[in-house]
This record gives sequence, C-alpha cells and structure tokens, in this order.
Amino acid sequence: MLERCLGSRRLRQMQRAFRRGTLTFLCLFLTVIVLRGTIGAGKFGTPEQDLNEIRQQLYSRGRRVEPHRVLEEVQSSENNNDNNNYATFDITKILKDEEAGDDEKRDPNTPYTLGPKISDWDEQRSSWLSNNPDYPNFINPNKPRVLLVTGSSPKPCENPVGDHYLLKSIKNKIDYCRLHGIEIFYNMALLDAEMAGFWAKLPLIRKLLLSHPEVEFLWWMDSDAMFTDMAFEVPWERYKDHNFVMHGWNEMIYDEKNWIGLNTGSFLLRNCQWSLDILDAWAPMGPKGKIRDEAGKILTRELKNRPVFEADDQSAMVYLLATGREQWGGKVYLENHYYLHGYWGILVDRYEEMIENYHPGFGDHRWPLVTHFVGCKPCGKFGDYPVERCLKQMDRAYNFGDNQILQMYGFTHKSLASRRVKRVRNESSNPLDVKDELGLLHPAFKAIKLPTSS
Amino acid sequence: MGQENNLTQKRTTSTGGLPTTTTTTTTNSRNRTLPRGRQIQKTFNNIKITILCGFVTILVLRGTIGVNLGTSQNDAVNAAVIEETNRILAEIRSDSDPSDRNQTETFMSLNETYALGPKILNWDTERTSWLDKNREYPNFVKGKPRILLLTGSPPKPCDNPIGDHYLLKSIKNKIDYCRLHGIEIVYNMAHLDMELAGYWAKLPMIRRLMLSHPEVEWIWWMDSDAFFTDMVFELPMSKYKDYNMVIHGYPDLLFEQNSWIAINTGSFLFRNCQWSLDLLDAWAPMGPKGPIREEAGKILTANLKGRPAFEADDQSALIYLLLSKKDKWMEKVFLENSFYLHGYWAGLVDRYEEMMEKYHPGLGDERWPFVTHFVGCKPCGSYGDYPVERCLSSMERAFNFADNQVLKLYGFRHRGLLSPKIKRIRNETITPLEFVDQFDIRRQHEGTVEPKN
Repeated sequence: MLERCLGSRRLRQMQRAFRRGTLTFLCLFLTVIVLRGTIGAGKFGTPEQDLNEIRQQLYSRGRRVEPHRVLEEVQSSENNNDNNNYATFDITKILKDEEAGDDEKRDPNTPYTLGPKISDWDEQRSSWLSNNPDYPNFINPNKPRVLLVTGSSPKPCENPVGDHYLLKSIKNKIDYCRLHGIEIFYNMALLDAEMAGFWAKLPLIRKLLLSHPEVEFLWWMDSDAMFTDMAFEVPWERYKDHNFVMHGWNEMIYDEKNWIGLNTGSFLLRNCQWSLDILDAWAPMGPKGKIRDEAGKILTRELKNRPVFEADDQSAMVYLLATGREQWGGKVYLENHYYLHGYWGILVDRYEEMIENYHPGFGDHRWPLVTHFVGCKPCGKFGDYPVERCLKQMDRAYNFGDNQILQMYGFTHKSLASRRVKRVRNESSNPLDVKDELGLLHPAFKAIKLPTSS
Repeated sequence: MGQENNLTQKRTTSTGGLPTTTTTTTTNSRNRTLPRGRQIQKTFNNIKITILCGFVTILVLRGTIGVNLGTSQNDAVNAAVIEETNRILAEIRSDSDPSDRNQTETFMSLNETYALGPKILNWDTERTSWLDKNREYPNFVKGKPRILLLTGSPPKPCDNPIGDHYLLKSIKNKIDYCRLHGIEIVYNMAHLDMELAGYWAKLPMIRRLMLSHPEVEWIWWMDSDAFFTDMVFELPMSKYKDYNMVIHGYPDLLFEQNSWIAINTGSFLFRNCQWSLDLLDAWAPMGPKGPIREEAGKILTANLKGRPAFEADDQSALIYLLLSKKDKWMEKVFLENSFYLHGYWAGLVDRYEEMMEKYHPGLGDERWPFVTHFVGCKPCGSYGDYPVERCLSSMERAFNFADNQVLKLYGFRHRGLLSPKIKRIRNETITPLEFVDQFDIRRQHEGTVEPKN
C-alpha cells in the first residue's frame, strides 16, 4: 500500500534510511550501556547500582533498610515470637526525637562562632573563686584541679564489640583518675550539629570551661586512648607559664608544618581567657559542609604529608600555630619528654620488654603514660588498620594498665592477652602491713593537705 | 553457502542490528554463483561481525550483572575480609582464654567450707590506728564520710552488642552522680575468685577493697543494671551512724512473709568495720560454684517464699542469713524504704513525664526515684525476663531522665526521653557564672554538713 503511494524506489530509500537510523540508535545505546558498565560514568551510576536501588525500593516498604556494613550483626528476623531475645533486636526501633522543631538554622552568611565573645573571663573567674573558697582551683599548692573530658556517640557502635572496648577504655580512665584525684566528664551529647565528628570537642570544651570555673586544667582525651602508666603524675609545675599542653615537636610544627607534628587526642587546656580566644580562632575551619571541605583543601596544600580529606581539628591546630606563632606560640607547650599521647604502633609490641626492664612511673618510651590507638576506630566499621591487630593490641594495652591496678590488690592478669587474673600476693591476716609495690594505694599526690596550724 | 547465510542471518538478528548485511545477504542469496574472493571476504566480514557482537555482549553483561572475571575478584576479597573479621569477633566474644589451655574446672565438694580469706579479728583497732597515723587520708572529708562506689561487669563482651552499649551508658550515669557528690568509683572487670563467679563476685571484691582502703568509711555496691535517676538526692548518712549495713527492703516482707525479694542486694552500703567482715564471712559459704551452690539453692527455695528453683544467689542467701541469725545481725542492719535506694523499674519508668511535670529532683522517693533498677532485664545476656523492647526503651528513658538533670547546668536537654539528641534550653551568654551559681548541683548541698564521728 505504501509502495503504491510513494513509489518503490522512494520506499526503498526510506527503508534504508530507517534501517540505518535504527542501526545508529542501537549502536549508540549499546555504547552508552557498555560505557556505564565498564567505566561507571560518575553520578549516573552503573546498571548494577540500578538493580540494587530497584531492589531496595521494592523491599523498603516492608522492612527497615539497613546500610551495607562489613561488620553488620543485626539479623532482621521476622520472628515476632522472639520478643525476649536481645540478638534479634534493632535499637533504631525505639530511639526517636520527640521535640525536633528547635533546629536553629544559622544564617550561612554570618561566620561561625562557638558563642558570644567573652572578654573578661579571667576577672569573672577570679572573683567567682574568691567568693567560693570551698571550690578552690588548686587542691594542693602543686596540684591544680583537673577535669578529664572524653566521650563517645550516644548511639550503639556499628562494630559489635566497639562498645565493649569503649567500656574498657572508660574503666581504664576511671582507674587512673581515681588514683590521681582527677574528675571525669564522659560526654555523650552532640552540642552543636555543625561541629560534628572530631570537631565536637570544641563546643564541649568551651561549655565545660565556662560552667566549671573551679577547674584549672581541662584534659581532653580521645576514647581510643588508654592510660598505660598508672603511677605517672603529670608535672604540673612545668606548665605554670603555659596554657595549652600538647604532645608534639616544635621543629615539626614551626619549621616543617607537618600535619602530625602534634596530636589533639590528648591535651591540657587551662581555664582562662587565652584558651577561650584560641578556641574561637580554632573553630572557623570546623563547620560541616562546604567550609570544612574547602578548609581541608587549604590544609592539605599548606601542611606537609597531609592526605586529602575534610578539615580535621588537628591539622587546623597545626596550621593555626604555624601561621600564628607570635600570637599563640608563647603559651603553647609542645611536650615530648613523656607520652602525653603515645602512638600505639611503636609501643604495643614492646610491653613485655618494658615489664622486664623498667617499672611504672616513667611515662616515656620506657613506660608510656598514654597509648593512643589512632586510626583503629573500634567503634566504627572501617579503620585504617587490620581489625585483628587493633583489637588484640587494645586488649594488651588495657591489661598492661590494669595489671598496675590489680597489683594493688594482689592480683595480675595471667598474661597480657588473657582476661583471667591470678593471685600474686597471698591474703594476709594483717592486711595493713602489706605494702603494694608501686605505692598506688595511698599515693602522695592524692593526700589531702593537712591544716598547718596544729 | 546458503547455510552460512542463514546462520549469519540468525546471528545478526539476535543482536538486533546490522541490517545492512542482511540486505546484502538477502540479495546475494538469490545469486548462487559468487566469485571466490568475495565469498572469502563475506565470510571474513561475518566473522568480524560475530566477534564484534560477541565482544559487545560480554561487555554489556559485565556492566549489568557483573558476571565475569574482573568484578568477582573484588567480591572475593570482600568476602574474605568479612569472614576473617567475623572469626576475630567470635573469638573475642567467646569465653575461651589463651590461659585456659591446661586448666580443668574443679568444684568444691560439699564437705569443704569456703573462706574469703584468713580470718581477721581486730580490724576496727587496726583501722583506727592506721587512720591516726595517716591523717592525710581521713575517713571524713568536709564532714561527709568517704564513700566508695563499687560496680562491675564480666570481663568478656556481652552476648549481644546492645548490652555493652547500656553498660557504657550505665557507667556514665554513675560517673555523673559520683562526680556531683564526691564519691569515688571502682569498676571491677576481674573475677578475683573463680569459685565465686557471677552475682557472688561482689563479695571477695568488697572484702578486698575494705582491707586495702581503710580510709573508706562506706562501700556502696551497685549493680550494672541500676541507674541513678535523682542526681540531686544525697544519702542521709547521719541516719546510719549506728548501723553498719544499709539495704533497701521491707520488714514485713522479710520477717513475716520470708519473701525472697524482701531486700535487694542490687544497691546497698557496708561500713568498713569488723562487723562487715564477719557478715561477709557468714554470707559467703553458699556461694562456691558447683554442688555447694546447687544444694544451697534447694535450701533457699524451700525456706523463702516465692523463690523459684535455681542455684543459690547472694540476695536469697543474705535473706536466709538475716532470718536465721536475726538476733546476731539485724541490730546493725538498716532496712531503708523511705527512698528508693533500689527502685524496681516497672512501676517507675512510665511516670517520668508526670514526675517532670509535678515534682523536682532531690526527693529520692516515689515522686522522683533515687535509683531505677532494671532487675530481670539482663541486657548483657541473650534472654531477659521481660520483652526486649520494653527493657531497652525503659533503660533509655531512665538514662535520658537522669542525663537531663546533668545537662541542665550546661543549658541543654534531650529531645524527648527516647532521643539521643539534645536541644538548647538556655542561650549562650557572656556572663555564664550566674547560671553556674543557680544550677550547679554540688552547690545545692552547701550547709548540710554531717557531724564528725
């Protein structure tokens, strides 16, 4: 019929053109698919991703979708009879925000601040201290009142044993602080959603400094850092003219601008106006999103050996000190005579050697004060090191520290890898005659100063 | 040749393209005689097309299903990592220990009697003379007796991860209360005596701490599943100056009904003195694992009202001891029920909102419970006595209820008792110290100084 309308030659031409057109489209289509499949053309995704997405879409109506995890433990069982079984329970079912409306959205054009600028904190604080003699900032002439601050997320860890290691870590800190008369604040609240992640400590520290004027030094410690020298007392007199003590090396900061020239996993900050000012100067690189990403690029460019990732508080501090030495450097003490922060990689294999050759109280390479498991991230699903090495070594470090506590009571762990304890000193019918080797039961730094009038 | 053409046709149509060859082959199929050269060329072309189509098919399949050699390698690596990680986690969570190689478990026989340690007879005089010699470690600080809070949990990870998370929240809760009230904490994660494992493990630890810390006046045992819910309330220690043990309980349940839940050993205080050592020595014999504990359990079930049949636990054993040797011990035991030194959770957790509306912290009783104790929930084990959802949501509520009282000083509170997130209730100010004076819980106890002993 068409042939009669258009003429056979015409028809054939059209047919040919049509076929060629089809051929072209088909080839184009195939090319696009193949490219997506092999190269994965960026944000458009791959067919495999499409398949997964479709699957997820279909199933999400029925049950809660869980993100893909390497260490996922929760098996979402449909068995509703198992109400008393903890293993099949999903905690996200019960957590809910009831009063959500209050999100103060900060105007993105105004620069971020931790809070309204306070300029007379030293005066405010000293007048408060003189009005409250029951809350002195120095417990003894050489011993300032210290508050150890640490914390973790209020949600359960993604790693099934992560919370167990957080528990051991806080027990370790409780032990050290009990021996040394230090108070602990364990934070589980995110004070400022913009400063989430490693920056969360800044608003917290500022808030604690302002709410606890009786505290002279605030000691921030990461949750993955453990005390391994229970007998070492921080030499407070050394820092009487400084306000900020971190573990690090002057040359690595001021000369090399090395991003690991200092460590903000364990540091001391004095409660004073200077500290509030440095917190204000430190904070601007922190706010989540574009600011943090851009700041990260600047830091990678300016600092030596820094990999590419968003701005973190440690690199920002390195940058702040390296560029503002005249302003801040005078009151910053970069301590390296003992391990205020001790990188775990070079310490954990030597514990047996230390036990053989040395004794607690040194705080340095002979017997480190703090073993800090940087990069292990036991609470998260992925760390920078193999899981086995991290967890086994954390056990060893914990036992190494715990042995010093147990020896006060006449026990020790059977080995650095063992949870079991064994007796090393028999019970006596005259317990007060027995002295513990390290003198930690009643150490001098915990003694209460007696009134001199008697 | 015709066959070839047919086959070629089939192949080309299956990949859906290249109709030009079809047209040429269809026209060519009419002509049977073809020059050799052209035949070879045609064959060659067909083969080229076949290979090309085959290649394209493989690539497309790779892209869609990831069927082929390249992508499976990544999966294999991932699978290996997951397997290895699971193996490590299973090892950590098991009860096996590298030191267990050569040990077999032996139980004490029924004939042997267990002792916590060598008998001490003059602890009071020893302690007093030590305190005299060591005045820098007084047993009373600022008029208040020195208290040591003892709590703990087993050394291995819980049977399920949520248990460890609530242990963590529980210790944070205790850290907060003790910081506000000047109490020291000892968190025990070691079984000092393998025979007294389980709920009995507190006995050797209490004794050990008493003897090592003569400067401690009171030792306060608290279970890991008990939460402080009144951060302001302080123990009225002056009430107990003539007593050596303070425990939550009801006299009628204890003496008239002989009920096995007449008192609760989840939260109690022991004075550091000879009397306490003697009580611990009298308490311990039902504890040793094995036949002794089993037999003792039968005796307790027979003598206490409402007790189910299971091995001897420390609470039932103490009740039995206090009932059978009433004249010896009860004189120095204070059964506290005017506030919730132990508060059974089921009757309390639903009323938190009502409490926040009507009352205020500092009361410690049914209006604002001092301690909410989650008996029976056992979040660290695999199965509890109550539905999991009820237990965990109640524990979360109790934790947040208490945390709100701590966060008040900082100007925050939780967005609802089930929410881990917080919201601001007080704006930042340039004179923060006025709020410190108003809200700091420690300052609310000024002026209530206890008389020294």
